[in-house]
Parts: sequence; C-alpha cells; structure tokens
Amino acid sequence: MSLRTAKIISLLVTIAGAIVLLQGATFSWLGNQQGYEPVQPIAFSHKVHAGDNQIQCLYCHSAAEKSKVAGIPAASTCMNCHSQIRKDSPEIQKITQALADNKPIEWVRVHHLPDHARFDHSRHVSAGLKCQQCHGAIETMERVSQFETLSMGMCVTCHRTHREVTLDENGKPVISREATPKRLMASTDCSVCHH
Amino acid sequence: MSGEKLWKKFQQQDADDAPQLIQLESARMPRAGVSRRTFIEMIGFSAAALTFTSCRAPEQKIIPYLKQPVEFTPGVASWFASTCGGCSAGCGVLVKVRDGRPIKIEGNPEHPLNAGGLCAVAHGMVFGLYDSDRVRQPLIASKPATWADVDRQIIDILAATQKTGEKVRVLTGTITSPTSREAIAKFLSQFKDGKHVVYEAVSTAAIREAHARTYKTPAIPQYRFDKAKLVVSFGADFLGTWIAPTQFTRGYSTARDLREGSHEMSRHVQFESLMSLTGSNADARVRVSPSEEIDALLLLAKLVSSEGTAAVAAVDDSRISSRVREAVQQTANELLKLHGESLVISGSNDIDAQCVVNAINQALGNYGKTLDLNATSQQNEGADQEMVELVREMNAGEVGGLIVSGVNPAYDYYASEDFSNALAKVPLKISLNPTRDETSALVDFICPQHHFLEAWDDAQPVRGVISLNQPTIAPLFQTRAYQESLLRWSGDGRPFYDVLRQSWKEKLFTQQKTHATFDEFWDHSLQDGFAVLQTQSSEQPSFVADQMGKSVERLGARSADHASKLTALLYEKIGLRDGTHANNPWLHELPDPISKITWDNYACVSPKLAEKFELEEGTIVRISNSETTIELPAHIQPGQHDDCVAIALGYGRTSAGKAGTGIGVNAYPLVRFDNGTFQYQATGIKLEKTAARVQLASTQLHQTLGGRPLIKEFTLDDYLKKHTAGEYPKESKSIWKDYQYGEHKWAMVVDLNVCVGCSACILSCQAENNVPVVGKDEVRRQREMHWIRLDRYTLGSDDNTTVEYQPVMCNQCDNASCESVCPVLATVHSSEGLNMQVYNRCVGTRYCENNCPYKVRRFNWFENQHADPISNLALNPDVTVRSRGVMEKCTFCVQRIEEAKIHARNEGRNIRDGEIQTACQQSCPAHAITFGDLVDADSRVGKLKHDERDYILLEEVNLRPQISYLAKVRNTEEVEA
Repeated sequence: MSLRTAKIISLLVTIAGAIVLLQGATFSWLGNQQGYEPVQPIAFSHKVHAGDNQIQCLYCHSAAEKSKVAGIPAASTCMNCHSQIRKDSPEIQKITQALADNKPIEWVRVHHLPDHARFDHSRHVSAGLKCQQCHGAIETMERVSQFETLSMGMCVTCHRTHREVTLDENGKPVISREATPKRLMASTDCSVCHH
Repeated sequence: MSGEKLWKKFQQQDADDAPQLIQLESARMPRAGVSRRTFIEMIGFSAAALTFTSCRAPEQKIIPYLKQPVEFTPGVASWFASTCGGCSAGCGVLVKVRDGRPIKIEGNPEHPLNAGGLCAVAHGMVFGLYDSDRVRQPLIASKPATWADVDRQIIDILAATQKTGEKVRVLTGTITSPTSREAIAKFLSQFKDGKHVVYEAVSTAAIREAHARTYKTPAIPQYRFDKAKLVVSFGADFLGTWIAPTQFTRGYSTARDLREGSHEMSRHVQFESLMSLTGSNADARVRVSPSEEIDALLLLAKLVSSEGTAAVAAVDDSRISSRVREAVQQTANELLKLHGESLVISGSNDIDAQCVVNAINQALGNYGKTLDLNATSQQNEGADQEMVELVREMNAGEVGGLIVSGVNPAYDYYASEDFSNALAKVPLKISLNPTRDETSALVDFICPQHHFLEAWDDAQPVRGVISLNQPTIAPLFQTRAYQESLLRWSGDGRPFYDVLRQSWKEKLFTQQKTHATFDEFWDHSLQDGFAVLQTQSSEQPSFVADQMGKSVERLGARSADHASKLTALLYEKIGLRDGTHANNPWLHELPDPISKITWDNYACVSPKLAEKFELEEGTIVRISNSETTIELPAHIQPGQHDDCVAIALGYGRTSAGKAGTGIGVNAYPLVRFDNGTFQYQATGIKLEKTAARVQLASTQLHQTLGGRPLIKEFTLDDYLKKHTAGEYPKESKSIWKDYQYGEHKWAMVVDLNVCVGCSACILSCQAENNVPVVGKDEVRRQREMHWIRLDRYTLGSDDNTTVEYQPVMCNQCDNASCESVCPVLATVHSSEGLNMQVYNRCVGTRYCENNCPYKVRRFNWFENQHADPISNLALNPDVTVRSRGVMEKCTFCVQRIEEAKIHARNEGRNIRDGEIQTACQQSCPAHAITFGDLVDADSRVGKLKHDERDYILLEEVNLRPQISYLAKVRNTEEVEA
C-alpha cells in the first residue's frame, strides 16, 4: 500500500463516518446545541397545546415565575385535562401507565446550560420577557427544538442592550438605590451568572 | 551555566547517536509502501477526526414528579425548623432542602437556646446524613436481613427472656426527648427487671451528683452567661465543648457585646492547665497545674464563704503558689462585690469539686440568678455509676438482653475491653446504631436507626423548652427510627410520628394556653421548631452542707497527692468532640482553633516540658501509666502548664468508616472511674521520648504577630476613654481611580471582641460553598481549601499567655491586587464591590494567589474527589463545583446575594438590611459578623464602619477592602503584649 492509497483510504473513512454521524436533527456541535431536537418518550406537541388550544405556558411550567427553573409538569398535571380528554390515545396511555406503575417519565433535556452558568427564570419572566424570546415560537413546534444558541454572547448582548438607565454627561449610568427596583437593570457582572 | 552545559551535552549526545539511530530504523523499515508508523498516523487522524465530528453534549434526562407535592417548587429551597442531633445540647436548626435533599443546616434565630448560632459539629451533620458507610439495612450476624425477619427473631428471644426474668437493659446516650423516653420505658416495662442506662463518653455526671448532694436536686442547672457580670471558670471549656457550647457562647457574647453604644461587658477569669478555647478568650487566664486548680478552687471557696461552712474554713492552702494565691484573692474580691451577678463553674467531673463550686455559688447568691435549678438542663445526662454497674451485671451474666442505641462503649468506655468481654456474655445483643462501629461489630442484630434529618423526634434540652425534630428527607436506606424498633418489640406497631403526636396531644397541649386546638398547637410548634411551656417557678431548693467537710477533705488529699506529678488531661476537640462523628471528613479537616492542627490528636506539652524531654513538634512520645501505654506525636502548646500533657479524646477509632478509621490514637484508656464518676485525667503518668517524628498537618505555622498590628486590642478602660482603632474610610492617595458604586456596595464588619474562635463559620462556609476536603497529606503541604482562615496568634509569656483570633476571608478589596495580575480576567471587580472569581475563565496561573496580601485564595491542585454519589447529594446546587487548576475564594456568598436581589426585584422593592446573611454570619453563635450594603445609608454594617474600634487589616497596603474588624477589648487592667 502506497502512502497515497493510505491517505485516500483514511480520508474516505473519515468522510463516511462523518456522514453517518452528522445526522441533521441529532447532531450538534459541542457547547452549542442550537437546533437540537431530540425525540421525546411521549410525542407531546407544544403546537397542539400552546398553539391550537392556547394554553398558557405558566399553566404547565408554573415554576417559571417563582423559581430558577421553569419546571417540567408532573404527570398529574397532564391528567388534570387528560383524565377527560383523549383518554384512549396511545401517547396519553403512556402517562396513565406511568402513574399506575409509579414510574416517572424521563424526558430528554433540550435546553441545557453548563454547570458554571446560572440562569433564573423568575427574574426574566417577572421582568416581562416573553418565553418566545429565548425559546422561539414554541407554540408552533410539534417537537421542541432549541431555538437560540444559549451562548454567553446571546445572554450578554441582551443584558447590555436592556439596561434602561439614564446616562450622565460622561456617559456613565446614573443609578440610584431608590430608583432601581422599578427599573429593568440587567447587570453584566460576571457573578450574576457565574458563581 | 549548568543549564547551558546540560543542553550542550544533550545536543552532543543526540548528534553522536543520530547515524546509529537512522541505521537501526532503516534496518527495520519495509523497502516500499507505507511504514507502520505512517499507517498508525493515518489511522490516528481518522480516529481523531471521527471523534470530533461525533462530539456532542451527552443526552440528559429531566425527570419530573409523577404527582406534584403541594407547596413545593423545583429549584426553590424550602426551610424546615428542626432540632440538631449532633450532640445532646438540642440546638434549634433550620434545614435547607433543595429539590428534596437537605443541603445545609443553619441556626434557628428564634430558638430560645441557641438564637441562630450553631457549632461546627452541627454544620457537619449534613455530610453525616450522606455518609455512605452507614448501615443500609438490618443485619443478623452481619448478614443482610429484612425488618420482618429481624423483628420475628428478636420478639421470639425477648419472649423467652420475659419468662426467665433476666435483666434487660437499654443503653443510650442522653435522650432529652420525653416521647422517646416513654417509648423506651414502655419497651422495658414488659420485663421483670428492665432499666434504661444513659451513658456519655465525656460525662458531666458530677454536676448532677453534686446538686443531688447539695440541693437534693439531681440536675444540671441552667447557666445564664448572659446575666453574669463575672464568670470564673475552673477548666470548663464552656465556649468549646462543655454541655451546650453554642447556647453558652450566645449568652457569653451577649454579655460582652460593645457594639451600638454599649459600654459594659462581663469579665471572665479562667483557671486552667491546658490551653482551651474558653481560656484563650478569658480576660484573665491563670495558668495552674491540675493540683493547683483544686487548691485554687478550695481557696476561693474559703475566701468567698464569709458565713460559710466550717469545712471550707479548714482548707489547707499552704501548697498554693503566691502567683495563684494573688489571682484567687483578687478574683474573690471581685466576686464578693457582685452578689448574685457572677457565675463560678468547673469543668471537672469530680463530685467533690462540683460540690465546692455549688458552695461558692451559694455563698455568692448566684442560685436563682445566674444559675437556675427550676428550668434545669437535661443535656449531657450520662450516669457514670450506672454504666459501671451495667458492665458489672453483664460480666456476672445477669443481663439477658442489651440494646445499644447511639453509643459506642466498645470504643469509648474507659475499660472498653471489659465492656467487650462483658458484652460477649449477654445472650441477646442488639445495636440500633446507624453505623457498623466498634460496638455494633460485637452484636447479633444491627437495626440501623435513621439519621436525625430523616426522623421524627422531640427534644427537651432545658425544662420548658421543647423542640420538634422533623424529617427533611425520606430515609436514604432501609433504616427505622429506634423508637419504632423498640415499640414494635413491645407489641406497638404504630409509626413513631403517630406516637409523637399523641404524646404531644396528651401531655404538652394541656400545658399551654396559646392555642385552642391541638392541630393549631402542633402546626405552630412544627413551623417554629419549638414550643415554650410554662414551668412552675418554685423556690430554689435550699443548700445542704452536710457532706461538704468530706468533700473538702477528699479534694485536699487528692491535690496533695497529685502535686507536681505529671498528669494527662483528656479533653475534647471542637470538631471531633467525643468521636461519635469520627467518619466525617469535614470535622477532621477543621483546624483546631488553638493548635491549628487537622486530622490528628497529639500530646500537647508546654514549651518548658518539651525542653525538659527534648521534644520537638511532632516527636512521637510514649505516655504510659500502670494500665495502658499510648504513643502519639507531641505538640508544643504555649500557655499550658508544665505539669500536664493534654490529649484529645475521640480519635483512634478502629471501625468508623472510610474517613475516620485509624485517625489518631485512642486516649479513652487513660480515663479512670473514681469516686462514682469518670475522671478525665490520669495522674502520675510516664512520658518518654521515642526516636520517631512525624509532621503534623497544621494550617498555621506561625504563632506570633511578628510585631505587626494585625489585631488591635484595648483594655476596657482604654476603650471607654475613647481610644480609636483607626478611621474609616481613611483618606489616602491611590494610583487607581475610585469606583463609583450605584446600587449596592457589599461590606462586612467582624467584631473580634465577641468572636471566640469556635470555627463554626469555617464549616458553615464549607457546606454552603462546596469546599472540598483535601486530606492530611495535602494540608501538610499547606493546600487546605477552607475559604475562611481563622488566624490564631499567641502573645505573652509562659505564665501569661493570651491568644487572639481573627477570621480572615477574601477582603473584597477596591484596589484589589489580585485583579491587576490576572492575565485572563478571571478575577474582576463587580459593580457592587465584589472581587468576582470566574471559575470557567481561570487558567490557574496562581498569580492572584501570590499577589494577595491576605492569602485567602485557594487553588485546586487536584480534581477533588466527587466519586461517591451519596456524599455528592450534600453539594449545594447553586454553587459551581470547581475542577482542577482553578482558583477559588470567598465571594461573600454571592449566590445568596443574587438570590436575594432576584427576590427583591421580583417583588419590586429594595433589599432590606439584614435580608442577606452570608453563611459564616448566619451560623455565628456570637453574632460577630455583620454583612450589608454600604450604599444603604441606614444599614447596620455602615454604622459599624464608624465604630471607634473599626480598623482595616493591613491598612498600609491601601487595598481598601470591604471587610473591616472591630478591635478586641479585654476587660482587664492592662494588655500584656
């Protein structure tokens, strides 16, 4: 085997492997999972619930306005409606079964921040941000896909532009203690997210 | 030069070898095609390329509840009021539960005993819950079994015992819970001769016995350090380990707090032989030999009992040295001026000594004022005589069944071998201990009990204050409440919760008038964590002096006998205490506040004694008496008396678990049983030097201040004459521009006057901030990771040693020297005055650590172990777990700041002063730490910054830190330096 042949074989193996592994929906670069759309154990459709039926996001993700996490609804929350509606659907049957077996449903996490980054849903929801700003048009998604990059650049860009503060003649922000609670103050201190 | 030569040598060698290498290589090389080397390179490239293309974050699962619990939000911590089970002091705690697991214990600020303070041991209890060495299911003859099997077999054997009428004994530690005691009583009532024996390894039984003799009240009185203007202690380490240290520290520092305009502080005189935490805080510490301590006590009794008894008047005070005599005389004069406002205590477990202490307090009119015999303490209720009697009965084969719960006499009984041998003669041996300790190893059945964070219980540490203990997590393992086990074996199958509720309904509900219905009473008590009941205040019982003569006589004889003999004094360390929690690495790595040594016990000797025996720090010494010999390293302790060697108990466990087995040497064999109680000293010991020497794992190698004003100290007189420590903020020039703080500027003030050095802050910080444990070897290399360093300085001469403490954490400087040297901006200044440490940016140059004058930065030299999935449950999910090569340090608990900010903003308000409490501040039993916002004009911290005692550590380097200290004040005539 000549060197040339070896090089060609090596290249072909690499390309073939890449084609196998780079499967659109499941592929994502390390650290940035934009477009990540994993298959979930139950074919839950946000389009049907949040889009067609106009159920409020906070009905299921009730922790979003008081906690760091938005929370995935408990199986019992699903049954609030589904004990009456579409009881016979095979997907709903999975939930009924889970409750019967006392075995929780293992959803696949779509949006994931690294362990050294902290994000608090409650602050953003209370400040009036729409869920769609970070999560995209979730009410149109049959299966949830990651809309934003969720990178530090994305967070910081928003934090920089959403500082509703007046500037003094030197261009420095004028911040007074009395005024702050009413204002949307997005800090860019590292420790706001990293601690 | 040598480097150049070395390189030349290598180059020369390489040049010489080159042709030869090529020749060798070509001989092996195939003539055509691809060499093996190239082929491997190609394959390697392919593999690497494939690996990269297939790189993606691992799939993660989110598992929500099946049924959402009411009032529970994922990601939001719930707090439950409960009672600490670390020792018998029964402090009220608040347990922080995040997503179903308790991760932090804090003091309950409303609890009448500890008022928000906690000790180091209590903080370590969270780690104890997640101890993977706990017994996970019941064991029969060391083999896993089911509860049903265990119950069946035990009930059968017990039924047989009932018929034979043999003795059945339940051996426990102090149980202050009235309901649990009832359960034990109910179990024992089925037998003809059943008895509950309470055993404490480090006992204070003498106090109860002495009160039984002198007041006909067998109880430990309630000590009111907050009401005492003068505390005189004979060797009692009441701030560190004695009975209920957190509660006492709270009272003590309340009486000594000079903040916010107070000009009065109590005075504290300590007579002691070893250097204790309490002694180191005394305004006047009198170094005495163990025999002199007795003499001094007797002399004081003689001097204060003017009307006193004839017995005391006959005290022979000829042996006492003039220095000590003068000190006792002065103390007596002071005491006599403060009728009913002083407190005299002794740490001795000798009944005679405690009788004399009672006589002194009686003469000074302290009963009913600073000592309360109505609301008596039930803490540390060991009955030494009964324990010895039990071992005798067992040895005689009279005991048919022994049930051990929460104690470990096979390790900590003074004659542990006798106990083990006697235990072998008991037909039915059951251990309800949670771990497979030395005692459990000898029994037939191990029926593991819950950790207190998993269990229901109540506690009545002091009469009238009854606390509730509620579970904060479902049991991790197949364990069962010990009360439930006992009830089940007496035919009562109810869960202990039902028993507890019923008992409260029947007994306690009727004793209160605040709540109309029981449910309301129960819910309120559960929410508060405690209920205060009306106790009938009766007259303080009258003093009975009839046995005083004999006591004084015996004490005099003992002192004469012990005079100038070398005595081993056995004491408890702040972290490990009696050794029950020896499998807790947090407690092992907590530096002892006095010696600064971790992971070991050692023989403390005075510098003079060390000189006499030619001992160096770490020299192994052999200590022997007629019964036993132990070998352990020596530690040279300034301030200790030359006639004694001090050795910590609680070490040398042989079966504690991963962290605790084989650490240190067991000193319990030196304990004696004498005159009805355990004596924690051994007189007439022999000390020998051996050739061996070890390096002790000490976190502070320097003793002195080196002439620098790191700690400022005044006498009370000087302070009242308006001497100031410094000014804040001091105007000085700087090459840096000043920061403009808009919204917040976080700052801290540490009052060195009330700080006693108890080290609870260190462990509270460790629990809050996921600070790793590094082990003995790494501590020896000065690589401990604690974010708070409690500096200890020793001043003065042999006879007049004073100790100063100073907690030092990151000072959050404005002109931070760390920030200017970080090449990757991993440590930067926040808009709120914090020096942020961004772990994910840090590349580990350690420039910041080298440039920090306070030396408060810690470097992760290794990937600290997080392999144990159970102990990982103790991690705080709000704080990043740092990896190898990353610098870390105190950030004023920035996670708490951020959480409070979010909370306040969500509610559209400003942060209230005192709303944010750092972990160290929250748990401080002395309330020495104040944290707050300097932008808030009314904040407490801002006011304290203008206190005359306020000063900045290393002010001369002009770093403008946010932490300042309030100078220490000693209530004494002059400060010795």
